[in-house]
Amino acid sequence: MGLLALGTALDWPDAKKQARLVREWGIKQLLEIWNKAKGKERDAMLWGDEVEYLVVTYSKDDPKVLLSLRQADILDALAQDKSLAQRCSPAPDESGYKSSQPPPVFHPEFGRFMLEATPGKPWGIEFKELLEVESNMKLRRCIAKNHMRPNEYPITLTTFPRIGSPGVFTDPYYPVSGPKLRSQFVPDEIANPHIRFPTLAANIRSRRGRKVQVNVPVFRDENTPWPWKDPTVNYDLHQWPEDDDVRNGAAPDNFIHMDAMAFGMGSCCLQITFQAKNLTEGRQMYDQLSPLGPILLALTAATPVYKGFLADTDVRWNQISKAVDDRTPEELGEKPLEKDRWRIPKSRYASNSTYISEDARLRPEYLDPDLVIDENIKQQLLDGGMDDRLATHFAHLFIRDPIVIFAEDLEELDLSKTDHFENLQSTNWQHMRFKPPPADNSIGWRVEFRPMEIQITDFENAAFSVFMVLITRVILSYRLNFYIPIKKVDENMETAHARDAVLTRRFYFRRNLFPPATRPSRRGSPSGSSTPTSAAASRPPTPFGPVEDEYRLMTINEIINGTAYARANPGNIPACAAAAADDDKDSDEYATDDFPGLIPLVESYLDSVNVDVTTRCRLARYLDLIRKRASGELWTAARWIRNFVASHPEYKRDSAVGEEITHDLVGAVVKIAECEARGEGWKDLVGEIPGLEKFLGKAR
Amino acid sequence: MTKLILSTGNIISGGPSIIRKPGAFRSNLELTNSLRSHFLAAKEDYLDTLDHGDGDGDGDGDVNGANGANGAAPPLDVVVDDNNGPASARRLPPSAWTSRENDALYVPSIDWSGEGYGLQEEPARYDITAKIFFLPGVPAAQRAQHARDALSHVLRVLGAPAVDLLVVSFPGLSFEGDCEWEADRRNSVQGSDEDEVATWAEGIEELHRAGLAKRLGVAEYGSEKLAKFLQRVQVRPAVNQVNLKNCCNVPPPLLKLAKDEGIELLVHSDCTDILPKGTLRELLGHGLGGAGLLADPETGAPGLEGDLTPQWVVKYTAVVRDRGVIENKGYFAGALLHDP
Repeated sequence: MGLLALGTALDWPDAKKQARLVREWGIKQLLEIWNKAKGKERDAMLWGDEVEYLVVTYSKDDPKVLLSLRQADILDALAQDKSLAQRCSPAPDESGYKSSQPPPVFHPEFGRFMLEATPGKPWGIEFKELLEVESNMKLRRCIAKNHMRPNEYPITLTTFPRIGSPGVFTDPYYPVSGPKLRSQFVPDEIANPHIRFPTLAANIRSRRGRKVQVNVPVFRDENTPWPWKDPTVNYDLHQWPEDDDVRNGAAPDNFIHMDAMAFGMGSCCLQITFQAKNLTEGRQMYDQLSPLGPILLALTAATPVYKGFLADTDVRWNQISKAVDDRTPEELGEKPLEKDRWRIPKSRYASNSTYISEDARLRPEYLDPDLVIDENIKQQLLDGGMDDRLATHFAHLFIRDPIVIFAEDLEELDLSKTDHFENLQSTNWQHMRFKPPPADNSIGWRVEFRPMEIQITDFENAAFSVFMVLITRVILSYRLNFYIPIKKVDENMETAHARDAVLTRRFYFRRNLFPPATRPSRRGSPSGSSTPTSAAASRPPTPFGPVEDEYRLMTINEIINGTAYARANPGNIPACAAAAADDDKDSDEYATDDFPGLIPLVESYLDSVNVDVTTRCRLARYLDLIRKRASGELWTAARWIRNFVASHPEYKRDSAVGEEITHDLVGAVVKIAECEARGEGWKDLVGEIPGLEKFLGKAR
Repeated sequence: MTKLILSTGNIISGGPSIIRKPGAFRSNLELTNSLRSHFLAAKEDYLDTLDHGDGDGDGDGDVNGANGANGAAPPLDVVVDDNNGPASARRLPPSAWTSRENDALYVPSIDWSGEGYGLQEEPARYDITAKIFFLPGVPAAQRAQHARDALSHVLRVLGAPAVDLLVVSFPGLSFEGDCEWEADRRNSVQGSDEDEVATWAEGIEELHRAGLAKRLGVAEYGSEKLAKFLQRVQVRPAVNQVNLKNCCNVPPPLLKLAKDEGIELLVHSDCTDILPKGTLRELLGHGLGGAGLLADPETGAPGLEGDLTPQWVVKYTAVVRDRGVIENKGYFAGALLHDP
């Protein structure tokens, strides 16, 4: 979550006054990096993953399962321990490969019940390193567990099913309705106590003029009263002005209502950051990975429960988006513009709004016609030597106000730092992030892929991480083109939220990923050379057809596995969802042009490089998981959790996920992790945990 | 007797034809598809030079010669037919898109200094692998020469002084069937140990000693064959490439031998008989999708005459070492045309 510098954080009215200065200095710092780093070349492919955990207290015999708020103590214990991994030696690799990884690193997160862990140093592209990811993730989990109390567990559910439910859900207990969050569901103590975090939450609320409104449609089951009124909403609180929000319609019927940043930023995700060889390749990767965001979001769906109720959505994304939405009524378009500068169509946390590559394949029609930018800032960047497209990107990010400002940082502009730039950059949470090198220029241009949901097992987390790494290599090797209009990516992001979207919905996706047939003797460089080739330039450009002909609707099965596989394995679409699936169907389910599929592309790449049998076998298991998740042969975590709840004897078919169900769900997750840590398959748990085989398969 | 050198150019951005089909685990489609599309592209390129009159690259004296030979068909006729693509392209005379260099006919002609040839960065930054396929029916005594020929084309096209790994595929070897134990056992009697060792000593080790191939490898060697091979060769293979239905089921004796002897077991998905004689004739003949290079006795269409025998195939890949990006990949194939 960025740098955790200490200092005097300004409250919103004061911070607002300094917003212009921070932006101005941030742009100066950005130009400083730009001029230092734009010519950086030949950086190696390095990448890193981030795994986030919830910390829960659980014991088999205690019916209460709670969020542990001991983040600071646990991090302290981790920091004090000189021999971190002593009791966690993962089984040596079959091939005898010895890891050169330093111990993993643990970081605080927004929620006081969260931890983040990263590898001790970035991964390279050696295939043997790809295999290390899973054991390293297990090592991280083991180390974390060893620095907790015996009844505390790091688990990788995206959200805690009962956060914000009436009664006790944290350990220790704190009353709700604190001065910072003013939430009627969660206490201020739910957030990391470092001044940055409560200030972030308070200033977002203050800038917005009311509490955030995180409303998720409730899943309507047989016995769910309809219209459904969230029974946990208290309409009679009068402690804070914001208590009026619910009386002013903040909690509509048929929605689970939440009112604090913790409901969003308390979610765990799986993020991957790649280092590009140079600026050009970084921009290419940013653009090309962007249309994959919604696909990977739907494929990793793991968030079907909020505040003790089944939601009618499967992923966390929009909830986080709403939980940090600091837009004023004027910016939202609810009131005419008077004080604010512009209407802003999206939250600070939202799908990408820009493409940034100078790729000739990027047609102007793909760009967002509603993009809001700060023209003054763009001009400053252009004057500073930045090109139009990248200047547009940053001039868009900089339409926002900085939320957390420390008084000490405003004394003088330090061009050897990037703190003001990062202030804006790191509070623009789009589904990709384009990261310039740090002030000392010691590392390269990087691209962060942010949409994936955390998975329950490290096997799955490693599988998705490695898959994304391979996809980037495929994109760069085959010079693939995933461009579709940004508006269609936005639409896909919404589509990805639907219950079982992975099986029941179709997504806009580019039909032909390959470069148009070029003449072999004139083919340009496939590796993203920074100098355009003269032959390519002298050739008359291929005439473009209509943009709408370049993409069509596809199932995720088709996108991941290819049309041929999807046709042969139409998938296990749940009966109740079949009707929903029909809403956008053409008469012919599969168009006549066959899409090759991302996994066959990855396999073709692997066929072309030297891979040893052990590595290929492990990679095959990862690809197999993803293949089957996409086809419905295996369930997403979201579907498994729904099934778990539905088959629980305490579930009354009324959408409510009570304490006992939550206790048993967390218990199952803990057990799965324990089995995985011991290096055992999940076979022994199959009879005990419902749906396990449909969730994780037989392979393990 | 004419030597033919077929080439694919850089196929890495060649489109969907190089993407493997579901269930396919061993195939030569990549080679045949990319040869076919490269031939077609070379012809269209030629038509383009007529069309745009820019005459760069391959449009040298051959252009006029070709049209002259065509007699009644002036360039205009060809240009008019341009939209018809393959059909009109097939009628092009061979000299329009192939070229002779020394004793060899290059199909298509190669502009060694053109775009797409050579590497973007210095060769040391790449992991370059070449795999030579010795084809069935070709006398083993010729393999040393074929290996030199094949490797020299790879080094020339990449502009590299050496390959990092040279893998040798001998004819007749495989791991057949679903049961890996059985496959390993059956492998022991495949191929010809004598010929393979002789080829290795006379041809392959030489390339290594000459500094043209840093490491050597074999393909499809089962545990028994590999054990015997290791005892008889001077430069040991560092790699054994295997193709198994499921790479998680390596025959345990092979796994153990490889571990004990420090040999890397790599996965591949090529078929051993990668360019059968009939396939080559189809590629160059007058049938659907053929290049129209060979004479057709049935229709009387003119072209090269005589018996055509594939001799060797070499596949090459250049991967940027610390980025895992494949920059260049392609094939050469050598064939002999025996005058009638």
